[in-house]
Amino acid sequence: MPPTAPAITADGLAKRFGTVRALEDLSLRVEQGEVFGFLGPNGAGKTTTIRLLLGLIAPSAGRATVLGHTVQLGGAAWRSDIGYLPGEVAFWSHLTGGQTLDFLARLSQRPPVDRAGLLDRLGLGAEVLARPVRTYSDGMRQKLGLVQALQCRPALALLDEPTKGLDPLVQQAFYGIVADLRRRGATAFISSHVLTEVERLCDRVAMLRAGRVVFAGDVEQVRRAQRRRVVAAFAKAVDQQALAHFGAVVEAGELEVTLLVTQEELPALVARLGMLPLVDLVIEPPSLEEAFLEHYR
Amino acid sequence: MNVLVLLRHLLRRHGHALLLLAAANALFAWAITRVVPAASQTAFVQELLDMAPAPVRVLLGEEVVANVSARGFLGFGYVHPFALLLLSVWAVRVATGALAGEVGKGTMDLIGARPVSRSAQVAAAAVAVFAGLTAIAAALWAGTAVGLQFRVLEGVSAPDFVPVAAMSLLLFAALGAIALLVSATRREGGTAVSWCAGILAGSYVLDYLARVWSAIGFLRPLSLFRYYEPQRILREGVSTGDVAVLAVVGAVALAAAFAVFARRDL
Repeated sequence: MPPTAPAITADGLAKRFGTVRALEDLSLRVEQGEVFGFLGPNGAGKTTTIRLLLGLIAPSAGRATVLGHTVQLGGAAWRSDIGYLPGEVAFWSHLTGGQTLDFLARLSQRPPVDRAGLLDRLGLGAEVLARPVRTYSDGMRQKLGLVQALQCRPALALLDEPTKGLDPLVQQAFYGIVADLRRRGATAFISSHVLTEVERLCDRVAMLRAGRVVFAGDVEQVRRAQRRRVVAAFAKAVDQQALAHFGAVVEAGELEVTLLVTQEELPALVARLGMLPLVDLVIEPPSLEEAFLEHYR
Repeated sequence: MNVLVLLRHLLRRHGHALLLLAAANALFAWAITRVVPAASQTAFVQELLDMAPAPVRVLLGEEVVANVSARGFLGFGYVHPFALLLLSVWAVRVATGALAGEVGKGTMDLIGARPVSRSAQVAAAAVAVFAGLTAIAAALWAGTAVGLQFRVLEGVSAPDFVPVAAMSLLLFAALGAIALLVSATRREGGTAVSWCAGILAGSYVLDYLARVWSAIGFLRPLSLFRYYEPQRILREGVSTGDVAVLAVVGAVALAAAFAVFARRDL
């Protein structure tokens, strides 16, 4: 792949299952070395997009490239550079964890150079790997899924709901793993509906709703564009309608008012509040969650 | 290379079943050599068979009924429903498990997301089906050969049954290819098994009914079991026409399985 080529491009990608439109006119571009968040509620088309990018299913319209290769159902060789964690990860119940990793590494045609480190960080010991996968808990299966996806040091990791079923400690370990991916220049495409996770991990996000991208951009840009929640408390009643010039009043009590304010409106509001008998002021930082909810309400 | 990795995976997964099926078929063929009537008993057995209802005589085979012989009885063992069932179990189990079964369980995503071509997946399944059938058919013949070592029957030798076992392999290779085609089109292993069981049972019953009921005799060529008649093979040798039909059906079904699986959504 040329060093400047994008890791993923999608151009007008669509998928229908019979009469159901799972994805409509999806266009996006993910650069090499980027950690890209793919957000959306259940059924929005996140998994369908990933399966299209892998060539597991054929698009009804549009085209996609992955690591510089046009995605086709039959194309195979370029997948050795890809690590994939399915949203509903399933394994062969008769194999042990270790046998599963060996089998999948052989299919990847690359040595599992990162396996030991991943197992250590995710807390999967030799005793666990010696057990048949059918005895694993959901969390252990998810950890095994992460290891099989990343053990061969892929150039591109497609991770569908990667922290599902993981406890908070293991989630922290996963965040560290993604940070390492970023450091070594790998690309990660992470589908999730855990907003704090995407906010923490990703450089850019795309938000999907009912099979359509409703927003795509930098996480920081989303955050900046988002209105802040400002809660002001006063020593005595004030003219709350006067504050409406500086933002949208969403809650108004006798001695407290809550507003939604854009970044541009904020200095003027703060200056105005300084002229009032202010006793407390809380300005909540904008979150991706607010943006997400705004798009999906 | 990935064909070999997948093949090893399939054989590891179905290895115990293969051992069991092969051992059961060998034991069954050996048991048949123990119950074959000796030359001194043939007159009595002939009288019994003459009294048997027509459908039973058809099931046993023309040579057994017309001319009771050890060869004929041993040949009957090669079309006995038990022996055929064991071969069927392997063909259907492996063919449906390798494609539709993996799709249904979700494990196909892990294979399909790797540098494994669709054709490699079908090829590995086809080789596993054929290799297992070869082992089970060989075990069937080995049972006969071992049995004949311990019970000498006049005019009967184990090598006579090699072509019969080979034709049983060819029949089930064709049926296995059909099972692969069914598997390549389905999304669930259970659904694929149902389809395959229906096709196998339908083909077997059609052959039997067409032999018993002359009004539908013209339908018999539609059943693949029509092209596998052990007693005729023992009497006249292998028919080139039967070999050609089974080989062509198997090859066409396999080619269709490759084509369908290459184009489908997983």
